[in-house]
Amino acid sequence: MKTQPSSPFAALFGLVFVLSHAPGMNASAALPETAPLPIPVVARFENFTEKDGLPAHKIHCVLKAGDGRLWLGTTNGLCVRQDNGTFRRFGIEDGLSHLTVLGIAEDPATGDLWIATMQGLSRLSGGKFTAFTQTNSGLPNNVVYGVAVAEGTVWAATAAGTGAYDIKTKAWKPYDQTNTVMNEPWCYGIAPGRGVIYLGIWAGGIVEHDPRLGTFKAYRDPDGEFHIALTADSGPIVDVTSGVAYDAGVLWQASYFGLARYDTQEATWRTWVQDKTPLVSNFINSVFAHGRIAWASTDQGVSVTNGDTWVNYQVGKDGKGVVHICRPGQPPETRTMATALSDGFVMAVWADDHEAWFATSNGLSHGLFSSPADQAALTSNP
Amino acid sequence: MKLKPFILVTTPLILAGVGAATGVSVHERRMSGLPQLGYVSCIHCHQRGLDTLPWAKPRPHHDAPGGIAVSPDGKTLFIALDDRDEVAEADLASFTVSRRTKVPGGPFGLALDAVGKRLFVACRNHDRVAVLDTLDLKEQASIDVGIRPTDIAYCKTAEGERLIVPNSGSDDISVLSVSPLLELTRSAAGREPYAVAVSGDGRRVCIANRMAVHDQILSQPYSEVTVIDPASGHILAREALQSAHLAEGITDVPTRGWTLNSVVRVSNLVPITQVKDGWVMSSGVAIARGNGEVTQVPLDEANAYFPDPSGVVASPDGKRAYVASAGSDVVTVIDLDKLAAWLAQADEAERGGAMVNMALSYRYVVARIPTGCDPQHLALSPDGSRLFVAERLEDRVLVVDTASLKPVGRIVLGDGGLDDPIRLGERVFTRARYTFQGQFSCRSCHPDGHVDGLSYDFDGAGVGDNLLANRSLCGVAGTEPFKWNGKNPTLQYQDGPRFARVLMRTDEIPQPQLDQLATYIKHLPPTRTIPWSRVGQPLTPAEERGRKLFFATKRTDGTPIPRALQCQTCHRPPLYTDRLLTSVGTKGSQDTSGVFDTPHLIGVGAMAPYLHDGRAKTLEEIWTIYQTDDKHGVSSYWSKLQLNDLVEYLKTL
Repeated sequence: MKTQPSSPFAALFGLVFVLSHAPGMNASAALPETAPLPIPVVARFENFTEKDGLPAHKIHCVLKAGDGRLWLGTTNGLCVRQDNGTFRRFGIEDGLSHLTVLGIAEDPATGDLWIATMQGLSRLSGGKFTAFTQTNSGLPNNVVYGVAVAEGTVWAATAAGTGAYDIKTKAWKPYDQTNTVMNEPWCYGIAPGRGVIYLGIWAGGIVEHDPRLGTFKAYRDPDGEFHIALTADSGPIVDVTSGVAYDAGVLWQASYFGLARYDTQEATWRTWVQDKTPLVSNFINSVFAHGRIAWASTDQGVSVTNGDTWVNYQVGKDGKGVVHICRPGQPPETRTMATALSDGFVMAVWADDHEAWFATSNGLSHGLFSSPADQAALTSNP
Repeated sequence: MKLKPFILVTTPLILAGVGAATGVSVHERRMSGLPQLGYVSCIHCHQRGLDTLPWAKPRPHHDAPGGIAVSPDGKTLFIALDDRDEVAEADLASFTVSRRTKVPGGPFGLALDAVGKRLFVACRNHDRVAVLDTLDLKEQASIDVGIRPTDIAYCKTAEGERLIVPNSGSDDISVLSVSPLLELTRSAAGREPYAVAVSGDGRRVCIANRMAVHDQILSQPYSEVTVIDPASGHILAREALQSAHLAEGITDVPTRGWTLNSVVRVSNLVPITQVKDGWVMSSGVAIARGNGEVTQVPLDEANAYFPDPSGVVASPDGKRAYVASAGSDVVTVIDLDKLAAWLAQADEAERGGAMVNMALSYRYVVARIPTGCDPQHLALSPDGSRLFVAERLEDRVLVVDTASLKPVGRIVLGDGGLDDPIRLGERVFTRARYTFQGQFSCRSCHPDGHVDGLSYDFDGAGVGDNLLANRSLCGVAGTEPFKWNGKNPTLQYQDGPRFARVLMRTDEIPQPQLDQLATYIKHLPPTRTIPWSRVGQPLTPAEERGRKLFFATKRTDGTPIPRALQCQTCHRPPLYTDRLLTSVGTKGSQDTSGVFDTPHLIGVGAMAPYLHDGRAKTLEEIWTIYQTDDKHGVSSYWSKLQLNDLVEYLKTL
């Protein structure tokens, strides 16, 4: 497991944390009055572990489907949270192509789930699994890191390129380094954009594909440096891409070396690294986008940002939740919470305007957002 | 003296002949890649063009009724005439056809809206749904759907009016909004979705999938019933009809919450010698009672069989169900109260074994109504007083009074085509009378001449472990010899005395009927595997790359591919077969020989499973799992992209 070195910014957070928890001290008492936060804040976490019926401690991915059901991809199969709050597991014996589930996507048109696993792509439709593998279909490779559904096409990011499955024609189109601008075939992430698809390439930045035009465009780290970002705000943070996300005109790049954002309307890049920005850790497992807000799942918690304001969630040494809030031009604010993420190593997030779900290496967390009144309280000093 | 001129003349001729024969032999062996090949005629490989084949030539058309729909006022019956590209309207007071209208594209499935103002027509030849105004029978609108739509259902939902269309050729379901006419979703179905039924409350639509699938080569097959939410188009459930195939009829029983499927329970994994025992193919009805349990009950009786159950309808009061048995020209009447009573008292074991219990059907079957040839689609009047039976190969619709269960008239659409040998052959094809006790027909395994998706144990070594995949009859003209071992030079031979003894367990089909049957089969066109809108269009780039791979003589690196191992050598156009026996390394442990007849590839995209025993579920698996040492063409140099391209090309043939 890669760990991140401490940074001056983290030290600053730590200082504030210590001050805020010193006897008789209240960190927020020193904060100036500010505008309402433009991003949701988790007021309380509910956690679920194997003791609560989860089939594994490690949760790779989480999705709340259109019908309200919550789906989890674990190291021990697919799992759904049922109406009574219990968890039901699906494994190979049910038709799932492999126990290790790395990604889940819903086809909004049919309600079908597409499940990325370590040995093929599974479709769950009407309670029945169908396996698509590299041997029985046009799937490029059995190791499927990510999956997305957009406009009647299922996109599967695999270890040997991306496969596009047309649900109507049943035809597969494989894309790799031989027929696109990809520099290598390992596709780690996939995100539908506005009329385009973004492919996160393991050591190749991001490839933007327009299916209608058949064009490909690569976004690469302009400095080409593997570990450091010499030229901030000029392109992907590095070429190493662990995930991509898109919503509301904003593309986000997760990397093991920082976070990047591309505003597709303004055609501008911004990048963040742990040492110089509020980003809680450079080691980002995945990123989820809702509106213009990104939820970055890292090895040290979650950073939520719209690019200017940040809310970070970590697990304190005492097991309590720690929230860091950083507004532009203001000193960071740190609060403690009675509840915390199930684990600080967060694999993935799903969120909307009302709640967030966190897949961690040791259980599932449900983040209940503050009410508007609570949010208002956060904006003013007590 | 007289010998000299003779020798002078004949010697060169003999030498030329020997040389020519030697040259031909060398040519044949070199071009076929088969060094041991004996003599075959030139036309064995150098086939005629496809346009010379029987199925490519014009043929007579008939007024065969497909789907039928009764108007809400019970005064009018609409009849789809797919072979004529027409829809007919019949007056139910006089039982006469009042109007006909052209609807191009093989109109086959019909549905009316709630007030009978709009008639929706699924056109299976042109992959579209047409909307007709019932006032003038003019087409108001049309929309493309999946390949070969065979049925259509209308329902009202909270989200608006919906049309549900099973696309039998593309294995999916189109959900359409009516106003505007748009395709909202296209969801994957089972295999060959064929018929559709709306639940009484309009909240569930069930789709019967005609063709069976199996998870593994020796596993029990099943047909899927796909359940869909018509409002959202989302799939709600996929229910399995175990060991069932040919499930081509479905209806809702509104007062009971049941769904009834016509099914054939097939025992394909045991030697088909068991025909005498009466359970190789059992015809019946599957009852889904909404509790997740499906019970299959027989229509058959001991020594009396009612094969190829097709259309099924239930009376509005839920008291009766009617099932058309296309193979025995009968409509069976089921008393659903009696059936419910039996279901209520039967334990799980009895319900599980019901389908092969030949002493059961008397408990709920209350009548058998004789019909004309090949009854398929059924419809009831809104009050349930009249039953309409589409007698497909009679060109008529039978009208039955459901109180007396007696025929009260017939709507005559055509003359039955008795002067057409193809039509006569189709009658032979669909009738079960030529098999032992009339247990099954040709159509039981070859619906519409195609495959049923199954592999059968044909009396080989062992039990259930020496399977042979069913092969489509569509497009077989000119591909002789037949059978996987290539031993049958003609269709008459294939379906002749040996076939009768081994498979049908009865006397052979009389020669005139056998000739008619062969004529019908020769006129079966290949199965279309691409959308109608793409017919005649150029290949896509991927398909074109696949085509080049198919005809490749060199590997990507320029290394020559031996002629025997080039795709085009054995799968030689235009039929994509050289009609020779070849080994491609697929000999199974129970196979007595490893050489098999090279199958033609026209329509191959619809012929799964593949290889002689059906071990390959998809085209990809032929090369990714079952290719051995490049014996089935040189494929070891292919990338995954190239394999995908080849498969895309094969699907266009």
